[in-house]
Amino acid sequence: MLKISNVGKSYGQFKVLQDIDLEVADGEFLAIMGPSGSGKSTLINILGLLDQDYTGEYLLNDKSYKDTSDNFLSRIRGDQLGFVFQNFKLLTTYNVYENIEIPLVYSKTEQHNKLERVEAVIEQVGLAGKEKSRPSELSGGQQQRVAIARAIVNRPKLIIADEPTGALDTKTSKEIMDIFTKLNQAGTTIIMVTHDEEVAQYAMRTVYIRDGKLYHDAKDVFKND
Amino acid sequence: MIDKIMIAFKSIGKNKNRNFLTMLGIIIGIACVIAILAVGDGFTKTMTKGMGTHNDKGRVTISFEASSYDDVTSGFTKNDISTLERVSGVGHVKLDSSNTAATAKIQYKTKQESTDLNKAPKHLKLYKGVGTTIDKSDMSNIFISHDLASRIFKGESALNKPLIIEGNVFIVRGIYKVSDFNYRPDIYVSKDVFKQLFANQITKNIARIYVQPNVNKKAVGKRAVKQMKKFGEDKQMGSYSVSNPDQISKTFTKMMNYITYFVALVAGISLLIAGIGVMNVMYITVSERRKEIGIRRAFGATSNDIRSQFLIESVVLCVIGGLIGIIFGYVLVAIINAFLPFKAIVTGYSLAISLSVSTAVGLIFGFIPSNKAAQSPLVGLLKEE
Repeated sequence: MLKISNVGKSYGQFKVLQDIDLEVADGEFLAIMGPSGSGKSTLINILGLLDQDYTGEYLLNDKSYKDTSDNFLSRIRGDQLGFVFQNFKLLTTYNVYENIEIPLVYSKTEQHNKLERVEAVIEQVGLAGKEKSRPSELSGGQQQRVAIARAIVNRPKLIIADEPTGALDTKTSKEIMDIFTKLNQAGTTIIMVTHDEEVAQYAMRTVYIRDGKLYHDAKDVFKND
Repeated sequence: MIDKIMIAFKSIGKNKNRNFLTMLGIIIGIACVIAILAVGDGFTKTMTKGMGTHNDKGRVTISFEASSYDDVTSGFTKNDISTLERVSGVGHVKLDSSNTAATAKIQYKTKQESTDLNKAPKHLKLYKGVGTTIDKSDMSNIFISHDLASRIFKGESALNKPLIIEGNVFIVRGIYKVSDFNYRPDIYVSKDVFKQLFANQITKNIARIYVQPNVNKKAVGKRAVKQMKKFGEDKQMGSYSVSNPDQISKTFTKMMNYITYFVALVAGISLLIAGIGVMNVMYITVSERRKEIGIRRAFGATSNDIRSQFLIESVVLCVIGGLIGIIFGYVLVAIINAFLPFKAIVTGYSLAISLSVSTAVGLIFGFIPSNKAAQSPLVGLLKEE
């Protein structure tokens, strides 16, 4: 699915990421763990083609998008990627249906297909009947389901989730992780950032990040201290 | 496109009060544009109608212009009529005057002035005094305008007061009011008095020549002027020329141009101010919706999508303002029509102008804020809460 080698990023003298090498196979469910300020979000922004300002090489499906135009990148994001954020990032003035519909607006989906696709994902995340509700009328778990529905409505190959359970209690976290597991079983590659050990257990593989360096084995994390 | 228009309506609806205040400038601007264009169009229509009668088929007009302003007595004479009627192609000739009134020196006690004077019309509505016309039996009766009465007689009542006109004493028997749009002289005297004392002032300086059927009136006019230059009785005192209808339309066009410049100025200023308001509100909208921009960008919106979304929103805002402005424009035109001597008309063309102007305001003043929205770096946008 994707491969990054020797990726780094720095703000002036401060190195946020150094020499990151990571490969994610098709259909994999990868967890990236690390404390806050470790560079997790920066890494995930690069992986999600949201941040093009980095050194090193990043291949998504064997293609580098480093020198691609901003407009083309937007299309790639819309067609191939789905994002789930910690704080849901729903539009508060839009109802559930309208929030989920957003990616379809930009993928030029026909109007009658839109309705069908949105209804299908609403069903899939277990929110049937909530189409007209505003995000403010929903619980945290329900809001995150809306966010997941929005991420999968364009049927992306890769879902990038940044602390998807960060704002949820353990019971709700479990429900959300069950949805992710199902999506992964259906063939979607998932990369998830978390600092919760329990949540990371749902992934097939976990990598660790600390002070901008990536470790493939938990044993190595504190080796250099 | 339809999606984006729907989004625009939605977000404009979210901030109705703020957006309505912003639209107010456009509403006033467009209402003014509609009203002024309607007055202009109504004026044009009335003028062209008037010119149509002036410019009748089969008629050519020759005018005499005295070389000196002091010499007001020269013009066409009875002998000139027969000279003109001998020109080939001429049917008959009528003399007329371009002056509508005579001038006379008037005096009351020590106050003197020079004023317009004419014979009384058959029917005149008096503001003070009795009757509607001057009785033939009493030659000393006159009517004067309310303006003149207040100028000459100050606080006093003018009725039944003596007024000296060119050395003769007359008595004021009636006072009439003059509207701003209709010309009336300041004094009306009886028909007979006018004939005796002032008729010579109304010089016959226009000859209307009715040409025979199937004759080129332009050629007739040229021949007639040539004859008058040779045989005209007052040829030493001035010059003869064919009145050119094009000349009338030239001065008319000039006047219309001034009106157009005035429209442009009023419209320009109000719409400039309105446009700045639109720009301001779009800046606010863009900074309020950074989170939304970030989300849309993450889910496939290109920066062009974002730019066009805000641009469409700005245009929709202005066009809604323009439409309301058109409605107000109609109301304004109805009000103006109550005071105008001619009828102001709203044409399809002025509606089209109004809508294109409001679209243009939306595009021009929405452009910079929309660009700002489109070019914000994505990572920063997604940090917004």
